[in-house]
Amino acid sequence: MTVSIELVPGRCEGHAVCEAIAPEVFQVDDDGIVQLVPGGDHGAETALAAVRSCPVAALRATP
Amino acid sequence: MMSTTTPVSDVDIFGDEVLNDPYPAYEALRGLGAAVHLSRHDCWVLPRYEQVRAALGDHGRFSSVDSVGLEPALNERRRGGVLASDPPEHEVLRGVLSESLAPRALSRLRTDIGRRAEELVAPLVRRGTFDVVRDLARVFPVSVVADLIGMPLAAREEVLRFADAFFNTFGPLNARTRESLPVAEALFDELAAMMSRDNLEPGGWGEAVHRAADRGVIGGHQVVPLLRAYLVASMDTTINAIGSGLWLLAERPEAWQALREDRSLVPLVFEEILRYESPVQIFFRRTTCPIEYEDAVIPEQAHVGLLFGSANRDSRKWTDPDRFQVDRAPMDHVGFGYGVHGCAGQGLARIEAQAVFSALLDRVDRVELAGPPRRHLNNVIRGLDSLPVTVTTGRV
Repeated sequence: MTVSIELVPGRCEGHAVCEAIAPEVFQVDDDGIVQLVPGGDHGAETALAAVRSCPVAALRATP
Repeated sequence: MMSTTTPVSDVDIFGDEVLNDPYPAYEALRGLGAAVHLSRHDCWVLPRYEQVRAALGDHGRFSSVDSVGLEPALNERRRGGVLASDPPEHEVLRGVLSESLAPRALSRLRTDIGRRAEELVAPLVRRGTFDVVRDLARVFPVSVVADLIGMPLAAREEVLRFADAFFNTFGPLNARTRESLPVAEALFDELAAMMSRDNLEPGGWGEAVHRAADRGVIGGHQVVPLLRAYLVASMDTTINAIGSGLWLLAERPEAWQALREDRSLVPLVFEEILRYESPVQIFFRRTTCPIEYEDAVIPEQAHVGLLFGSANRDSRKWTDPDRFQVDRAPMDHVGFGYGVHGCAGQGLARIEAQAVFSALLDRVDRVELAGPPRRHLNNVIRGLDSLPVTVTTGRV
């Protein structure tokens, strides 16, 4: 299954829960907003756990 | 229109018996169905994790306008506030302080908050026996948040009494709510006066909100309600997370020891505390269209209680949910809600709680109850009135 993770525009508040769970996929930049790390494995279990754990629903995983 | 198979319960989820120990009632509700009609309150509740989480992520079908509490007359007073609005209006209000509340901005405060926690904790530890709720949990968040807002004279007791009354009014018009209304009413104007521009220190969040009104981002009439919402929301939640957490740890010396040995567990245990004893047990929403569940259809314009406290104990989601587990790391619990209304102050709550727990872990070998804990009953908040403990320091 190939999964693609995307950011919901304008939603991220920089709580950085995703970064704590899956730093190889998510990185909170200097402006405090999450960015996807190029080449990160979106299908990894940790990445999907991070999507579920975003406290403000700023991340979306689509199969 | 309710079909004969619609799950119905006549439990009073705001009655003393359930508030004292809600978990058996929650289990019964989860067993009845994904959506249960409460005949006594003429509302619906979602007791299971999956549906609570989905509703929180679906502000289009589960509106907060005139509906975060159960009682229509009381919802009217919250109209237009940050808790009681939907996007796009909600985004404007929330945006005013979201940068200040973002963890990157808060990380600058971590050292200062840690030092304040130490200053408060050290003398209590020297005393040996103290009340976690009265001497610690109820003292710390008020002083931290009042300073951040820039309220010079933190009228601590007034703020705490207002917060407790405010949360009661999210429930039905029961005795608790009726007793709270005059309290909330009396303190409402007092708080407004404390938040007027002249009374706020420059450079704080209070001034930032006033400036947002100057720039026309929000209306002048929205300044005080927004500040009041953030002030109140940062009280009982953090206070009870600290209180419930220390009760859980006092009863589990092996958990305390595990935290002493591995401090990287401290952030995780805080999430487990929020899962296990969620400070906010329920908030409401209003359906904007009929919502279909496996065995029930919630009609349009119905009041629906999202039972965070039950969702966080749902065995469909959690393994062994009634077991408190230090290293569970339940990052997707709904103790802070979720989605557009997900707790805006959660970053600050984490810093405060971690500061308090760390200050205690640095000094204390063992925490033991020094008397029976006493529960404080509130219509939507779960927490304690008193938690007497004795702490033992390392030198035996």
